Amino acid sequence: MGSRKGFFTDTTLCIGCKACEVACKQWNQLPDDGFHFTGMSYDQTAHLGASTWRHVAFVERPAPLQGQTSGAGDFSWLMMSDVCKHCQRAACLEACPTGAIVRTEFDTVYVQPDVCNGCGYCVSACPFGVVDRREDDGRAWKCTLCYDRIGDDQTPACAKACPTASIQYGDLDELHARAESRVRALHGQGVTDAYLYGKDAESQPGTGGLNAFFLLLDKPEVYNLPPDPVAPTKKALRAWASVAAGAVGMVAVAVGAAVFGREGRG
Amino acid sequence: MSDDTLLDRLQRKADGRNIDPRAGILEGEGAQQRVKDPEPPKPGPEVLATVPSRSGPDSAEAPSYYGLPVLKEPLWIWSVPAYFYVGGVAGAASVLGAALEHLGGRGLERLAGRCHTVATAGDLVSAGLLIHDLGRPSRFLNMLRVFRPTSPMSMGSWVLAGSGAANTAALALRRRPGAWGSLGRAAGAVGAALGLPLAGYTAVLVSNTAVPLWQQVGRVLPLFFMASATASAGSLLSLFPHTDAEERVLRRFRVAGKVAEAFTREAVELEARRVVEVGRPLRGGAAGALWALSRTCSLAGLGVDVLPGRARWKQVMADTLSTVGAVAARFGIIQAGRVSARDPQATFQGQRQGLGAAQVEGNTEASDGRPLSFPLPVLGQGAPERAPRPDAPYARFMVTPPEPS
Repeated sequence: MGSRKGFFTDTTLCIGCKACEVACKQWNQLPDDGFHFTGMSYDQTAHLGASTWRHVAFVERPAPLQGQTSGAGDFSWLMMSDVCKHCQRAACLEACPTGAIVRTEFDTVYVQPDVCNGCGYCVSACPFGVVDRREDDGRAWKCTLCYDRIGDDQTPACAKACPTASIQYGDLDELHARAESRVRALHGQGVTDAYLYGKDAESQPGTGGLNAFFLLLDKPEVYNLPPDPVAPTKKALRAWASVAAGAVGMVAVAVGAAVFGREGRG
Repeated sequence: MSDDTLLDRLQRKADGRNIDPRAGILEGEGAQQRVKDPEPPKPGPEVLATVPSRSGPDSAEAPSYYGLPVLKEPLWIWSVPAYFYVGGVAGAASVLGAALEHLGGRGLERLAGRCHTVATAGDLVSAGLLIHDLGRPSRFLNMLRVFRPTSPMSMGSWVLAGSGAANTAALALRRRPGAWGSLGRAAGAVGAALGLPLAGYTAVLVSNTAVPLWQQVGRVLPLFFMASATASAGSLLSLFPHTDAEERVLRRFRVAGKVAEAFTREAVELEARRVVEVGRPLRGGAAGALWALSRTCSLAGLGVDVLPGRARWKQVMADTLSTVGAVAARFGIIQAGRVSARDPQATFQGQRQGLGAAQVEGNTEASDGRPLSFPLPVLGQGAPERAPRPDAPYARFMVTPPEPS
């Protein structure tokens, strides 16, 4: 059994070099994505997908960074390397009807390509819009947290390639401690906007905490992250209760129709 | 490389020219992807009218990432909403069939048999429609690989497989004499017991997703789908030629379903409207048109049904209208979900107004440690002071000295 592994992505250190994107594509031998131009800042990747497992978001915002003055006036960059969050309550895993999505010995969430039959249910279930199905392939794909590398005690490709230690990989307990001391240091430097996104169940009860959590400087929406995500299964009970109520009604209608519609009745 | 000598291997290690032959073989995690075409262009602004930092459809209070969707759109094609209709009809028909079998008496045996036929045919067609939707149809049997209560799709696969088997057995055996007949009638009861969740689980399937609209209507959608299944099964069975005695049963069954359908449809609409952005897809565009069509046709079907007079053309018209209404509702819900997933503000505003984890967890703070509700000040511009959360060393405004390095 391995220990609980994860990513701590410190967006204050990200310089938007996309080394993580390239390293991920290369190591996992993912197909290219068509080289399309989005026109959104320097972000030509747009979002995570079946063959894009790391995506660097470029946020240009009309507000200065805390404690910094720049020649550009009211302007600052925010960059964030986005990835599958490997949630504690993984919506994709709970939705998968074939058992293709499993939790590994490293506490990560992994899609088995030899089992997946491409029903697409995990795609609708994910509150972060991470997992996707490649249409010509027909199966769902997402970040594996380099399952093939960490089994050999290696660092995942993106964290290995990151030149600024923005992406940090390791045991989750250690990452939590590191992240908290980093936030404390930033607050000490006057960057009071810094906070951790999805570190644990307390700060993100809907997902039970993320194994790949982030240090952010602005609202989650700015980075295209949901502010209060929830694994849909947490709300399933009330829907099943409605089915039970509907079943009672349906039986009543069918029995009533059969009994009152018999010969000799009105 | 089995015919290598030890010398060969040592030399390969040392001479620095030979590469590992395995490096040329595709073994990466993603190397198994079968790629025929490059990915289609990303959604996004066609041409930005302003520089990126000043563009976007959002305000400072409600930002988004260039207006891009947060969620992936549901991938279901036409066969899934079609299955929602067919599976609902099959479930409701098997329930009515079992009720007639055990309570209807001899005069209604033909109708009970017809119910079983419709249910069995519906189960078979349903399986075909679902397999057609899969990305890898050849692996459809993997659906029965695990039994996973957290997944409505897994539960539904088992329910559909079970009710298909039971209804087929009932259809084949129920007229036989002796023990076989008893077995067939028992199978009919099992098919009916499974037909109840078959008619309703599809609504749980839809609402157990991250799509804001679908998640929001989870409490009432099952009632709507089951009422609609009752109405559409009754309407379909009434389209076949039938006697007056059978009409007495069918009329009660389908009118009750149609009335319940009319009320639950409004409940779905009300639930969706609790947040403007979440309910929007039901009020405009193709999804809104389908939803309006479904309401119009269903209400017209009910109206024509309860008009006095027993003319056959009137009956056919009412049942056709109700069927169109039921099918349009399924397609409308699916299309509205697609639109809802495309709109980032549906996700953001819905969650900011308490429809996210707050609905079940009761948390009052978003993941950024600030209150959920809008309007929020732009960060870094004089946000109001709040007491930091105890035991959270990273809470805002808690100034601690930097650690000595």
